[in-house]
Amino acid sequence: MSTPRTPGWATRTFIHGISGWITLLTYLFMLAPIVILIAFAFNAGKSTVVWQGFSLDWFGKVWSNRHIARALNVSLIVALASAAISTAIGALAAVAITRRQFPGRDVLGAALAAPLVLPEIVLGVALLVFMSFAGVTLGYGTMIVGHVLVSIPFATLIIRAAASSLDARLENAAADLGANEWQTFRMVTLPQLAPALFTAFILSATLSFDNLVMSTFTSGVGTTTLPLRIYSMLKLGITPEINALGALMVVANVAILFLVMGRYLPLMLKTNRR
Amino acid sequence: MQRAWRERIETGAMLAPSVVLLVLFVLVPLCVVAAYSFALRDPYGAVLPGFTLDNYRELFQSVYLLVFVNSFKLAAATTVLCLLIGYPVAYFIAFRAGPWAPALLLLLLIPFWINFLIRISAWVVLLGRGGLINQGMLATGIIDAPVGMLGTMGATLVGMVYAFLPLTVFPIYAALQPIDRRLLEAGADLGAGPATTFLRVTLPLSLPGVLAAALFVFVPSMGVFAIPVLLGGGKEIILGNLIVQLFLEFRNIPLGAAVSVLLLVFSGIGILLYMRALRRVEAMK
Repeated sequence: MSTPRTPGWATRTFIHGISGWITLLTYLFMLAPIVILIAFAFNAGKSTVVWQGFSLDWFGKVWSNRHIARALNVSLIVALASAAISTAIGALAAVAITRRQFPGRDVLGAALAAPLVLPEIVLGVALLVFMSFAGVTLGYGTMIVGHVLVSIPFATLIIRAAASSLDARLENAAADLGANEWQTFRMVTLPQLAPALFTAFILSATLSFDNLVMSTFTSGVGTTTLPLRIYSMLKLGITPEINALGALMVVANVAILFLVMGRYLPLMLKTNRR
Repeated sequence: MQRAWRERIETGAMLAPSVVLLVLFVLVPLCVVAAYSFALRDPYGAVLPGFTLDNYRELFQSVYLLVFVNSFKLAAATTVLCLLIGYPVAYFIAFRAGPWAPALLLLLLIPFWINFLIRISAWVVLLGRGGLINQGMLATGIIDAPVGMLGTMGATLVGMVYAFLPLTVFPIYAALQPIDRRLLEAGADLGAGPATTFLRVTLPLSLPGVLAAALFVFVPSMGVFAIPVLLGGGKEIILGNLIVQLFLEFRNIPLGAAVSVLLLVFSGIGILLYMRALRRVEAMK
């Protein structure tokens, strides 16, 4: 698109130019800290600000830190359990909402999205108060419930979007061909929903793995998650060990992002190159 | 007949887990918190049966009022800055980036996706006395001695904007992207200058995205607690810190419950304002 020098071209150039510069600076602002963080994870010295040569020592430190290993273990258990529960409950609700008529359908749809707009800290506090009111000891159970609350809006929305685009004729065809409801569900509906279920599971697991707020209120003795451990390490001061741990988490986060986006990315690129 | 009943039972079974989850672990706990906010307490903070408004009355003391003012100021500043930066970025991606748009969106998704604490720790290093920003300013002679940037409201604000900026770009981009380019050309053909076209066509059409962005930033930023501690040095206490302190350190559950109820009310007001503004914007079209 060539821009003829019609009246107003200066303003147009200004609007476009300034949006370009702000975008450039914003990307620098967003990405540079992460690059620097990763770079200093390879620093030989104890400093996180002065470069003293290349070394992998800090990664070794992270590897042999028993507190981190223990916290990682807790985080993985909670992430996998809460993601499995979120995906299962979300799938049941999403299929019911898109496929079945029942009173209060819209209310349930909105309620499942509600934890998205309610402040997470209030949900965490409420769960803490309720659990101690009910005499439940804080630990894996309470934390898994809390993380399910955090991830269920996302899981439900993803599966709902997929379920609403399913072709009902396929299920009818299966029924016509003599499949019973369970067979239809297992062999026709479920395979079509599988990609959405996978995305919902991975997203829920990541939200849980990175969660700080809900864990602050629902973790118990001996169930310190990795973010809780990092938070207390950060309060004591920053060391290259945190950088190394951070670098590893960046790699894990980005790998998962590409795993999830991998299917959508070629699609995004194609639709944009009209 | 039998089939209808079977279907009803099935639907019930599919819904039961989510209904139980929402009622038992969201609705009932929120009601318990609301009830506790009116409860009496012994000198050690334990909840005693009874009804009182003292917890709310206590929040009107200047110490706590200051926390509310601080939180509101920080949330408002974060929202305004995020919109001021996020809008031009979304505009650029939607109208100027062409085939690069998906890549730019992905590059913004990456920092958003990375663990929140790791992102904040990067800024703890950068803003420190020996950090790269101080080193850079010393080297270029802007300053003669390192400046203490950590532990200030400014550092907190940088961290807040860093954490929430992608949340503003995505909804604004989503509102800008589908705008029919021919509308903009029509504006130009009818003699409207670019500024007029922007103010009369582009901006109004993107307002729903701007409103959503404001909601996504304002509501959660009132409940943040880690950023003011790690970057602000915990000097300025905002609602999130106050709730953590009251529940986990002072064990003053009735007072903490009252603060939580107020935070919930503020969020509710925010959502209502958003919906009203959205309706007004839609009506304009």
